[in-house]
Amino acid sequence: MENTQPATAGRQDPTALPIGILAIAGMTVFAAVFLMAESEAAVGGLLAFAAVAVLGAGKLGLLERVRAAFRDHELTMHTAIVIGALAIAWVFREDHFALLMLTMAMLYLTACLGLNVQLGYTGILNFAGSSFLGVGCYTAAVLTQHTAIPPLVILPLGGLMATIVGSVLILPVLRTRGHYAAVVTIAFAVLFKTFLEVNDSLGGPQGLAVGEMTLFGWGFNSNIEIGDFYASFYMNYFLLALVITILAFALTRRIERSWVGLNMDAVRIDELAASCFGINLARWKITAFMLGNFMIGTAGALLGMILGFIAPTNFTFADSLILLSIVLLGGMGSVWGIALASAIIVMLPEKLQLIQEYRFLLFAALVILVLRFRPNGLLPRADRIYFPGWRPR
Amino acid sequence: MKLGRSFLATAAALALAAGVAQTPAVAKEKVTVAFIGPLSGGVAANGLGGRNSADLAVKLRNQDENAKYEYELLTLDDECKPNVGVQVATRAAANRDVVAGVTHYCSAVAMGTVDTYNKFGLPVVVWGAVLPDITYANDYPEVHRVNGTMINQNQVAAEFMTDQGYETWVVIHDTTDYGQGHKKYFTESLEKNGGEVLATFGVTADQQDFTAELTQAKSLNPDVIYFGGLTPIGVRIRSQMDKLGIDAQFEGTSGIVSDAYIEGLGELAEGTVAFIEGAPIEKLPGGQYFKEQYDKANYNEPPEAYGAFAFAAMNLVLDKIEEVGPDRRKVRDALNKVEGRDSIVGEITFDDHGQNAVALITKFVVQDGKWVVWEDSEYASGERKLNGM
Repeated sequence: MENTQPATAGRQDPTALPIGILAIAGMTVFAAVFLMAESEAAVGGLLAFAAVAVLGAGKLGLLERVRAAFRDHELTMHTAIVIGALAIAWVFREDHFALLMLTMAMLYLTACLGLNVQLGYTGILNFAGSSFLGVGCYTAAVLTQHTAIPPLVILPLGGLMATIVGSVLILPVLRTRGHYAAVVTIAFAVLFKTFLEVNDSLGGPQGLAVGEMTLFGWGFNSNIEIGDFYASFYMNYFLLALVITILAFALTRRIERSWVGLNMDAVRIDELAASCFGINLARWKITAFMLGNFMIGTAGALLGMILGFIAPTNFTFADSLILLSIVLLGGMGSVWGIALASAIIVMLPEKLQLIQEYRFLLFAALVILVLRFRPNGLLPRADRIYFPGWRPR
Repeated sequence: MKLGRSFLATAAALALAAGVAQTPAVAKEKVTVAFIGPLSGGVAANGLGGRNSADLAVKLRNQDENAKYEYELLTLDDECKPNVGVQVATRAAANRDVVAGVTHYCSAVAMGTVDTYNKFGLPVVVWGAVLPDITYANDYPEVHRVNGTMINQNQVAAEFMTDQGYETWVVIHDTTDYGQGHKKYFTESLEKNGGEVLATFGVTADQQDFTAELTQAKSLNPDVIYFGGLTPIGVRIRSQMDKLGIDAQFEGTSGIVSDAYIEGLGELAEGTVAFIEGAPIEKLPGGQYFKEQYDKANYNEPPEAYGAFAFAAMNLVLDKIEEVGPDRRKVRDALNKVEGRDSIVGEITFDDHGQNAVALITKFVVQDGKWVVWEDSEYASGERKLNGM
């Protein structure tokens, strides 16, 4: 994990920031065009273009500068990305479907950041990601239908429920190691789905309706119409999801930079060495597991409200694998990599609807290719940077 | 923008109606219709069969020189998952070019997406999902369904069996939505027809041994053992009934009407009765035509049980677009008025929930190792008798 990137000499590269900003602008435009692409030729051409552009930029050393920009001008770059996301949302303000896809990508990102705390930092393999997403969804369904709790409060409650349900697994996960702990979570995923199917009070196999999000009396399922301005109701969810994603993102980053993240890394890399240095393994594993589940459950609660209807078939083992594959594809522990991978995994199968039943073939082949040629993910995790602008010597 | 589009569409439709009448050679306006079904995953075979059938309907219409529009089919995969279903439904419904849709094989997906269709005002005709709530749990004018529901199937089943003179039942069902639904609606219909359910047992979909349930059932000595579920358990229950010496009549649902049921049981299958929504293709009013056209089009996959419904649903949608023009609201209203319309799956009449009220149900009995339509069987003519009669 210790990065191969050579420590550049002390001075900052003045061209880094403009190139970084340009890169973000380019990606924003590309994402917008990609979302608009309708035909097979356009989607295929854009994918080829992206591959060539990234490879070319790598050859010209531009990627190195973009990385430097992220390191030296973190706040500016992050702000630029948020502005980019908002710009895309503005372009697609009337397009329900594009906004839905963007929102889904962000919620998957939030859930995967939770998985990242577990797997990427602490090394706990959680094969029940979609189950905890499901706990969030079902919490939202039950609470919106049967109580008057404000929906905004339901979001953290969804996370809380996922944490509580997940705590059932703490002992088995602590007592087992590696593959065995993974099997425990697989068993839980299967158990969870079966439980939902036989439990009639939770809708059984047919599922449950979920109420909409409301904020200060504003129903999120209504389109936004202010004077001449019109925007899809998904814009509401998009903005909320953006806020949640930013919070989850900031939290993950802060954890990584703090002594907490350092301890978690130590637990992952070598349990024995870590405990020799006085790190309490159980404490950090429990912390990571519960915090991760909380993030997944919170994302799940909002996901349920957006979908409006949930059923056990949404939360199969295969869906957990998709969440995990986002983390692996992006790069374990790499928050930006996971952001990129969420976007790819959510959008690409949708764009490949054009080739219908063959799309998962192509999709799976792409994932395998990436893992073969970039085993550390699309954007491998970089060195820990304790302070913005700080660089390892 | 909304106004502009629909105005344009209406204007274009009017212009076409006026202009095309004299000069049919003029390029036709393009109209997009959607098909949504499970093209990947466990029930992909049914989804692909439905997709091909809908595609066939569109192709045949495009070959028709009298058609006013040229149709384009937008096919989307719901993977039989509600979350994906909502996504693709949003994609189709939010696309203003899509005038109407033929949607969903999986009940849970259809339940999740009806709100989306209502929100965006896209008229749809469900082609395969059987859960009654899809049409009956809401008042959405956009949602219609050509195929029958479990309610229809079990009404026919209960009426038929009580007419035969049976009085008492033990109901066994699997715990999926399929089995649960059948239990519920069969029990309700049976009460109306004066039959009595002595006991009900739920079993999981992969259970192997039914001795416990069947021993209890035997002590109750019912006339009929009703099973709501799919072929694999149906085979096991029927053969274990024999081992325990239960001589009650065995009655199944659409889930056991398959060749595998007879292959799995051999002689024991004789005399089992079951009911399906629809009919075998060759028995459908326009089945021969559909089969010929389907074979001619050389699809890789067979149409499967619900292909004919997808074909009929798509044809109905296209007919309505031809009649009132490519305008969502007009198509929706026209669909709601459908009454006594001929189709290859029989007459279609939508009730006030958009449900086909004259859904076709076929009764089957196993005779000499084959599923035979009841009316054609020796049981109906009196040469053979069901158990206990």
